[in-house]
Amino acid sequence: MKRKKSARPKLQVQNEKTRSKGVSQWNIAWRRFKKNRAALVGALIVGFVIFLAVFDALVAPFPPNATPGFYTGETRSPPSLKYLFGTDYIGKDVFSQVVYGARSALFVGFASAAIAMSLAVLVGLISGYYGGIIDNILMRITEIFLVIPFLLILLVFLKVITSISPSGGGLSMVVLMIGLFSWAADARIIRGEVLRVKSSQFIEASKALGASKTRIVFRHVFPNVLHIIIVLTTLMIATAILVEAAISFLGFGDAAAITWGQQLQKANEAVKEAWWEGVFPGLFITLLVLGFSLLGNGLRDALDPRLRE
Amino acid sequence: MPRYIIRRIMYLIPLFFGVLIIVFVASRLAGDPVRLMTVQNPRITPEARDNLTAYYGLDQPLYVQFFLFLSQLFQGNLGNAYAIRGGTAVTTLIGDYAWLTFELQLAALFLSLLIAIPIGIISAKKQYSKLDVTVTTTSLVGTCIPIFYMGIIAIIIFSYILGWFPYGGAHSILPERYPFGSYVLDELWHMALPTAVLTFATLAPIVLLVRSSMLEVLRQDYILAARASGLSERSVIYKHALRNTLIPIVTYVGLYFGAMLAGAPVTETVFNWPGVGRLFVEATTKLDFPVIMGITVFITIMTLIANLVTDITYGYIDPRIRVE
Repeated sequence: MKRKKSARPKLQVQNEKTRSKGVSQWNIAWRRFKKNRAALVGALIVGFVIFLAVFDALVAPFPPNATPGFYTGETRSPPSLKYLFGTDYIGKDVFSQVVYGARSALFVGFASAAIAMSLAVLVGLISGYYGGIIDNILMRITEIFLVIPFLLILLVFLKVITSISPSGGGLSMVVLMIGLFSWAADARIIRGEVLRVKSSQFIEASKALGASKTRIVFRHVFPNVLHIIIVLTTLMIATAILVEAAISFLGFGDAAAITWGQQLQKANEAVKEAWWEGVFPGLFITLLVLGFSLLGNGLRDALDPRLRE
Repeated sequence: MPRYIIRRIMYLIPLFFGVLIIVFVASRLAGDPVRLMTVQNPRITPEARDNLTAYYGLDQPLYVQFFLFLSQLFQGNLGNAYAIRGGTAVTTLIGDYAWLTFELQLAALFLSLLIAIPIGIISAKKQYSKLDVTVTTTSLVGTCIPIFYMGIIAIIIFSYILGWFPYGGAHSILPERYPFGSYVLDELWHMALPTAVLTFATLAPIVLLVRSSMLEVLRQDYILAARASGLSERSVIYKHALRNTLIPIVTYVGLYFGAMLAGAPVTETVFNWPGVGRLFVEATTKLDFPVIMGITVFITIMTLIANLVTDITYGYIDPRIRVE
């Protein structure tokens, strides 16, 4: 650490000589991200799925939940030119259903991650910056959420939702539950990072200049932990997609929604007769999760200020 | 050391009760098991329903129910199931199912550590070589495949197409089908596929962790010192570096074991494995409160014990922790 600090002024001088003004942290990160092939592959995969989700009606040959094979007797027929990924037990085109699943997968990923990360950032910032008794209370709550058997409690809570309103809140409720129960680990990481930033000298300096606590937290601490938050969010999206798939697979998801997990659950009843029913939705889950993981790892390498060469 | 252990235990007790309260309240909100049980009986009278509710103690206020549950818990009694297996005692139920869960999870954890540690070390030793790239790519993809998907693919290939392994369950239905007439061999035969899948799923993140931890250690000054003093590469890596590499692995494995147990419902559903995970799914669907609470108690205690063992081992292998 000490050696790095002494090297920093030299680096800045170099930058000023070779580059024109205005090379921001984000510019540097972007330049490094561009060089990372794995990260670009991740971005490409995520971009592809976003494309599917936006233009699903144009890409998919059949409307959602249509059963073109039902009337022609083509139920559970293997992949062919007409049905790229085959048809399922009531003659739905698996390819179309997979395409429509893209939107749910992205919704689950982004929305769950948004909920979980808001909680994690809030708890992490408050706990890390204010310390003392607030920190103590918040960390004890965090620990409960860390040891709670995650999947078990999700199943019980989803059951609660369906019992309170029989129609269920649909996919949004699944999303809410995933978000509410997966913030704890990230809150801890953010808190640790806040503690690290808090002890740096520029915080000391702005305190000495008389900045208010709120100002310090939002103007100085938050921007300096932002890179961690971005990385954790990307990885959280990947986890949320996996969790939703598992919940749907166990039959606790939203049965009315078209998700890849739901498709896998139905396919599991007949893997022997129709492998294509499950193989393709599962492939897309893996692909999208891989995309977000690669993206997250790439962002971690690009954004970490300590890795600067 | 004993004082450290006692302090850790004292610290875990409130966590345990925190989890219990959340699951207890949530499960009671999840619906009315009496209605679920009687919904198919057209001749049921409201009085009979009330009697049944009173019989299960569900007419009491929530906090009374909770304290009754706690007082039973301290006597080692988790109550009787409402309907599962004709209302067997939950402790008996867990006793019957838990071993199968443990068997699978521990076998997978043990095997994956056995395979992951050498692979991670070799991969770190030859950083950026073809082998390293292959290992890291495979592991990264491995962490992205949902475990049930991996299970389905394995069943399609090895059970249906090749016919090498049974496609589910822990035992053959008929004793005549046991390979060589042995009950143990039959169970091992049924275990092979789930264990292999779970091992691969567990393996992937551990390989990545061992590799990055090893790389971190190899960058340290004392490794340079060891090399400079003329030690062989083998001795540098396996004697000096490996011990320090293992520190994060121990933490990870302890925490991961809890996650594996909590993830048991998924693994066990794919392979139709009669463990506590599948039992929990059944209990939640049927709103069998005593079974839900019993399994939660069981898995939470196991998770906490894993955390405790991790803490103690950590204090043992990393002397810096003990001093603090």
